[in-house]
Amino acid sequence: MTPATRENLGMHPTAARPTVTSTLGPHDATEIRLYDDRDLPWIASILDTVVASTGLPWRVLRERLAHSAHGAVRVSSILQALRRVLGGRAERTRIARKVRGLVLGPPALDDATTTERLARAASHLGLDPEAVRELLWIDLADERPVTLPGGRPDERRLAAYANLDRVQRMVRRAHELHLRVEGDAHALIRTAARWGLVTTLSRAGTATVLDMLGPLSLFHATSVYGRALAALVPYLADHARFELQMTCKLGDGLGRLRLAPPALFPPSSEARAKPSLAARLAKQIAREGITAVLDPPPLVHGASLLYPDLAIHIGDRPRLVELVGFATADYLAAKLARYASAGEPDVVLCVDEHRAPDAAGDPRVLGYRGRLTGAAIVAFLAGCA
Amino acid sequence: MIVRISDEGGRISDEVGQVRLAAGWSVPALRWYQRDAIDRWTAANRRGVIALPTGAGKTIAAIAAIAELGVATLVLVPTRVLLDQWVRALGAAWLHPIGRLGDGDHQVLPITVATYASAVGWAPRIGDRFGLVVVDEAHHLGAWCPAEILEMLTAPARLGLTATPPDDASALRRHVGEIVYARSVEELVGDGLAPYDHLTERVTLTPAERARYREARARFAAVYGPFQRVSGGASWADFVQAARKTAAGRDALGGWREYRAVIAYPEGKRRSLRDVLARHVGQRTLVFTSDNATAYAIARELLVMPITHEISRVERTAALARFTAGDLPVLVSSQVLDEGLDVPDADIAIIVGGSGSARRHVQRIGRVLRPRTGKRAIVYELVVADTSEVADLTRRRTGLASAATKTATIGGAP
Repeated sequence: MTPATRENLGMHPTAARPTVTSTLGPHDATEIRLYDDRDLPWIASILDTVVASTGLPWRVLRERLAHSAHGAVRVSSILQALRRVLGGRAERTRIARKVRGLVLGPPALDDATTTERLARAASHLGLDPEAVRELLWIDLADERPVTLPGGRPDERRLAAYANLDRVQRMVRRAHELHLRVEGDAHALIRTAARWGLVTTLSRAGTATVLDMLGPLSLFHATSVYGRALAALVPYLADHARFELQMTCKLGDGLGRLRLAPPALFPPSSEARAKPSLAARLAKQIAREGITAVLDPPPLVHGASLLYPDLAIHIGDRPRLVELVGFATADYLAAKLARYASAGEPDVVLCVDEHRAPDAAGDPRVLGYRGRLTGAAIVAFLAGCA
Repeated sequence: MIVRISDEGGRISDEVGQVRLAAGWSVPALRWYQRDAIDRWTAANRRGVIALPTGAGKTIAAIAAIAELGVATLVLVPTRVLLDQWVRALGAAWLHPIGRLGDGDHQVLPITVATYASAVGWAPRIGDRFGLVVVDEAHHLGAWCPAEILEMLTAPARLGLTATPPDDASALRRHVGEIVYARSVEELVGDGLAPYDHLTERVTLTPAERARYREARARFAAVYGPFQRVSGGASWADFVQAARKTAAGRDALGGWREYRAVIAYPEGKRRSLRDVLARHVGQRTLVFTSDNATAYAIARELLVMPITHEISRVERTAALARFTAGDLPVLVSSQVLDEGLDVPDADIAIIVGGSGSARRHVQRIGRVLRPRTGKRAIVYELVVADTSEVADLTRRRTGLASAATKTATIGGAP
């Protein structure tokens, strides 16, 4: 893996301007300079090469752009964005694997053997032999041909995806993140919850603040957690006013980075949504004849904010349930204490033990492995009562 | 703290990881050099590295060492494939279950095999449970295998295994020990390794290829030569960094890429490869290339299976099973087959392209040297006459006989 440096994380060396930040402490943070309209000319130049390479293997495209005056980091980020925009990787893998299984075998040392083997596979798949030959390597990043089914991509769209990719790579190398959002942050908070991020919520004036652990603060599943954290980044596109600060591993040391609008990102509607576990549990509980309110109103206690996932009506009053993803023992204890301070001492935290192996044995913690069910929550609440 | 605990009647033991293993071993008979290797390692206070060629039975030697020492053992391996391979080998030699850390498994037992990646997370919690740690592919220590893992393990006994000791063995020396025993391929051929014939197939470039080669190499040399004269001792990375900054430099890098592409798989190698494969129809053959592009070119032309990092683990495993069965008798790869994969026994190696690295060459040749009654392996090297490939061939051939023993001498006591 390429070591992370300011340069290959996409930080423009000439545009890095230190700013003193107040929220994370007295240290300098470096402004992240995302691609914007000023970058469209060189992106267009790279796209010219892409268009001229249509039909040739991606390997050839890479060679044509290697050592170009644009710089390896910029070329790489735009090509990566192009791959994301084009998509279809999983489908290609499925097809190519099947075709290879049918075609590859002992070496075909003459044309007759080659023709016969391709024809046999073509007949099996109901395709033309030449199509079979093309599909053989359609999943390999550098061997498949460059195709632009939707025509020449828009430079701004590529810049937006390149920005998204760069910020996602940064958060995967973060120790801690501090996200301050003005306006309605409900969707962002629920998304963080769905991905199981270790998040502490608070209010600062009119802003909502999410303090999140980065993957490098965890001992386990750091790459899994990093992907989960990266899934939150697309939702920044919905916010006109935000400030993201993070402490990241850069090269051999730590660096402080700051990101604020304007930030050119793709629309959040194009992000991969994660199915809601809370919604599934609410349905299951409702089927047992018990009222379960999905996403009850948040609890506000001083500057502290708490977002339970379910309010389940068992007995004389609703019991709050929060689904916790990644967690440490300290994080769970602090969360329980905050609920107690907010007047809800008997909240139940459901904790996936695979993602929180150090979870404490508190009676208010329902630990589970594998699939959590509504029945298990109801039984746990009945046991508590 | 220790004094205070003692004063208050507490008992402190500094004996760590001395859990004794249960009986129930059935270790295969060792070859003479495996026995020698373990004896040297034992004499070195059970700390050190054993360097034996691929296929010479490092795993068996290590299992014998574990059985003889009889203490809880952690085996560190680089890949999930090697994790499976070690668990199978240990399971065949010891009656009891083997623990696994990696590839979704989290079971810690008196003998546990862990991938480097999993060991990073687990070492702080289980670092005091083992009396012996075995580091497979130990030349990766300090890079792929973070040295922090070894720092978090209290095991007093440490055994490193490698076919290719690194030039800079300082991390190995510090965390595992000196290279206590080393044998080269040439020393073990016909005994621990299958005998083999090493054949060179010289090919020539077509006039058009020769012209392209000369033109591209001249473009490269025009910049690289003066750069080397001015900055003697500069690394290749230094050159690339400097060259990128100028148009002439970028053109030189383009020339470098182009002349290497010309000799990677010219028409002469194409013909020669077909000839060699035709001579060995039905025999299990591994084809090694200098880069993935050439591997795919061969796969595309001959409809044989490529094994690269882009081929998924599932498909790779299936391909290796078909290779064993003889259904896919030829595999082609640039680097993935070099090490870290449990490649079934093969008879023929065809080196279509490589570098001057003796280390890499040892790994590749070792793939066909697994001994079998009556087996005589053949290693073909295709080389383009009058090109930079000839010097590469000489370098790796020269290094082949002496690589392991030379390092052992540098490292200390063979």
